[in-house]
Amino acid sequence: MRQLIIQSAVSGLLVGGIYGIVALGLALSFGVLKVLNVAHGELVMLGGYAAFFLFTNMGLDPLLTIPLVFICVFALGTVLYSLLFKFVVRFDIETRIKNSLLISFGLVLILQAIAVFLFSGDDRTIVTEYSSKALVVTGWVRIPWARSAGLVVAVIAAFLLEWLLNRTTFGHAVRGTSEDWALASLTGINVRRVYMIAFAISAGLAGVAGSLVSLGYSVSPSIGLGWTLKALIVIVLAGLGSMRGIVLAGALLGLVEGLASVWLGSAYRGVVALVVFLVVLSFRPQGLFGRGGNHV
Amino acid sequence: MLKVENLGAGYGDLQVVWDVSFEVPAGALVAIIGSNGAGKTTTLRALMNLVPAMAGTIEFKGESIVGVPTHQIVERGLIMIPESRATFASLSVADNLALGAYTKRARRDRQTTLTDVYEIFPRLAERKSQLAGTLSGGERQMLAIGKALMARPEMLVLDEPSLGLAPIIVENTFDEIRAIRDRGVSVLMVEQHVEATLELVDYAYVLELGHVVIEGPSSDLMTDPRVREAYLSLQ
Amino acid sequence: MSRSTPPIVGWLVVLAITIALGLFTGNERLLTLAIQTYTLAALATSWNILGGFAGQVSLGHAAFFGLGALLTRELWLGGRPLPLAILIALVVTAATAAVVGVPMLRFRGIYFSVGTLALGVAVFITAGNLRPGISSLPAEALRAYEFQGRYYTALGVVAVTVAISAWLRRSKTGLGMMAVREDEEAASATGVNSFAHKMAAFVISATLAALAGAVFGYFSVSYYPQFPFSVTWTFDAITVVFVGGVGTIIGPLVGAVFYVVGRDLLSSTFPEVQVIVFGVLFILVVLLLPGGFVEGGHRVFAALSRRGTAQPTGSRAEGERETMEGKESV
Repeated sequence: MRQLIIQSAVSGLLVGGIYGIVALGLALSFGVLKVLNVAHGELVMLGGYAAFFLFTNMGLDPLLTIPLVFICVFALGTVLYSLLFKFVVRFDIETRIKNSLLISFGLVLILQAIAVFLFSGDDRTIVTEYSSKALVVTGWVRIPWARSAGLVVAVIAAFLLEWLLNRTTFGHAVRGTSEDWALASLTGINVRRVYMIAFAISAGLAGVAGSLVSLGYSVSPSIGLGWTLKALIVIVLAGLGSMRGIVLAGALLGLVEGLASVWLGSAYRGVVALVVFLVVLSFRPQGLFGRGGNHV
Repeated sequence: MLKVENLGAGYGDLQVVWDVSFEVPAGALVAIIGSNGAGKTTTLRALMNLVPAMAGTIEFKGESIVGVPTHQIVERGLIMIPESRATFASLSVADNLALGAYTKRARRDRQTTLTDVYEIFPRLAERKSQLAGTLSGGERQMLAIGKALMARPEMLVLDEPSLGLAPIIVENTFDEIRAIRDRGVSVLMVEQHVEATLELVDYAYVLELGHVVIEGPSSDLMTDPRVREAYLSLQ
Repeated sequence: MSRSTPPIVGWLVVLAITIALGLFTGNERLLTLAIQTYTLAALATSWNILGGFAGQVSLGHAAFFGLGALLTRELWLGGRPLPLAILIALVVTAATAAVVGVPMLRFRGIYFSVGTLALGVAVFITAGNLRPGISSLPAEALRAYEFQGRYYTALGVVAVTVAISAWLRRSKTGLGMMAVREDEEAASATGVNSFAHKMAAFVISATLAALAGAVFGYFSVSYYPQFPFSVTWTFDAITVVFVGGVGTIIGPLVGAVFYVVGRDLLSSTFPEVQVIVFGVLFILVVLLLPGGFVEGGHRVFAALSRRGTAQPTGSRAEGERETMEGKESV
């Protein structure tokens, strides 16, 4: 029993890393643009397919193709922004959130259908030569290489993102724009372009998460909404304000899910997260690490 | 430097500014005065294209800036300090100033400009890493001006710089505005504090209900009976 | 108060036609399409009460639809007479909604939307765990299956739902809901108990969704009990409401007809094409024509009637005013 608990905790922590990186992307688009893109999970899905096909058709290791997948989904993000979300940002915050929710809703249907059409509904997994290998600790705790990548990448991404936002001019421009876009314009910042790039970065991050999902787990056209929900739960859990907090919250959520599945069974794993979400939202809406205010 | 003719502007169906014309010669210090609701802020926002100009022409350094995106207007050297929320509260003083030099023009000399700004406002240097949102009103005003100076303006536009400030700080602010003009920057300011403003500026326009009703050198306006009655006796 | 309410006569004519349809055609495909349309129309109308009137966008609506389907089906197949089964399903759903609504409605805006989405998915997963096997009509029920009864049940349900929705719209409660939709703070300030109104909308909407679910449970020959809890039902209802005209009475109806017919016409193509087409349509409506077909209809009507008089072409503000009017009527 003790073995089961520890192994479940470890597995949960690892998947929590992916929760973290999916949530990072969504936190960026929601925190900066105040746009709620519920099709974020579909971008994860598409990134996963991109990694899968790069691996299957060209033999490229998914960890190595992460930058390429980032660029591809980044590009898709600029297209989606220019065609759709650009029109939503001119509204005030409340209308903006509601309309972006609805539009991305439609996008979920569209992207999912396109994926079914192009890729069929089957599950795809990337199986590399290290997929079945794991780091074995104290004789029996298995830390699979393929799934650890998620946590590692998430932590790296969080630090990179924090560095970008706090130490670069562009990052300051992003934070300024998210606080007050009129003042940002008056500061000489091209607000439209900042929005587009921030959105595209968030899409790229979703794509990277997708790579890790297809490596450690599997992709199919319908996985999108589940990931979006997980990301939202993590964001609510962490609160907006710290990128590191988001990865931490993701890991925490994974851990809680993993432990809960020992007693509830894996069938109710998803329900655990949702219950946690509702509880946190009710009693601590600003999140565990939230700073409130206009931080990204 | 700036020439505005027959400007019309407003919000959607509601036109607020009608047929307004004014000019800011290079190196001059000009004011637009008027009471609340006269359309002063709307005029400035139309200048910077935060609000579209419905009619008229706006020329900066000889080129039309009507319809030009705000950030490009800033790039050309026309900088505006809005009346409130002129600094990024969630960024530090240093970051605000750094961001002030965002345009390509300003970025080149960022370090020298920063040194200058810290010299003018030593208080800002003391509070370098403090979040702008935690500054006092007067300090935030300093930061707003400092940030604007970081953009190396050729012309500076100020929307009610005295708003909400204690009289001694207003005095300091006005001194600083004069110093800015003396350094070669053209200045346009919009104000409700008529008396102090007229003592500061060279030329002024009086705006009422979206129309320019009186204009002239400030010395003339100070003795103009209409101005005295409407604005100076009510002060 | 409304500018152009289609007169009662119009509704009676439609009712007469639909009643006649059930009597004079034995075409099973047509009847199936009609029943699907009525079910969707009823579900969409129920969502509209919470989302359109009260402005609370619920993304977990399918939970109540599924609950109604599940309870009705199991009670009915278990031997209880259909009306009783439906009644019990409605009461249980109403009670559940009342209980769930208390914490849920404390959330505002997107938190409510995401919270209901989370709830809907949680219920979906649970339903799949509790009832994994397919639910099929037993042999005698299959032999006794006839379309007419089901057709009139569905028609009755959508008629009742629409009637309740229409009554609500004109009632003081409905006005209160719309006040909450426009500005919850302002509504509270003028004495409208916003929580009570949101709760009323939530419970009524959930109960009517369960009623639509009951039709689904009664009509379907065999399906996975988890299916009616699926988020696609929520998606469909919301798409239908927006495309038809959110906040109006005929909007969801027009939208449902359009959706079912359109889907059927496109059924020769890949099913994904249907989804893409409606997805794109939905996005276009949200961006360009927020009032849906109803608004479109009003604009066309207004443009046609303006052609007679020499008037300046509508400015954007005028178009917005028309939109407002479009929302007020029907």
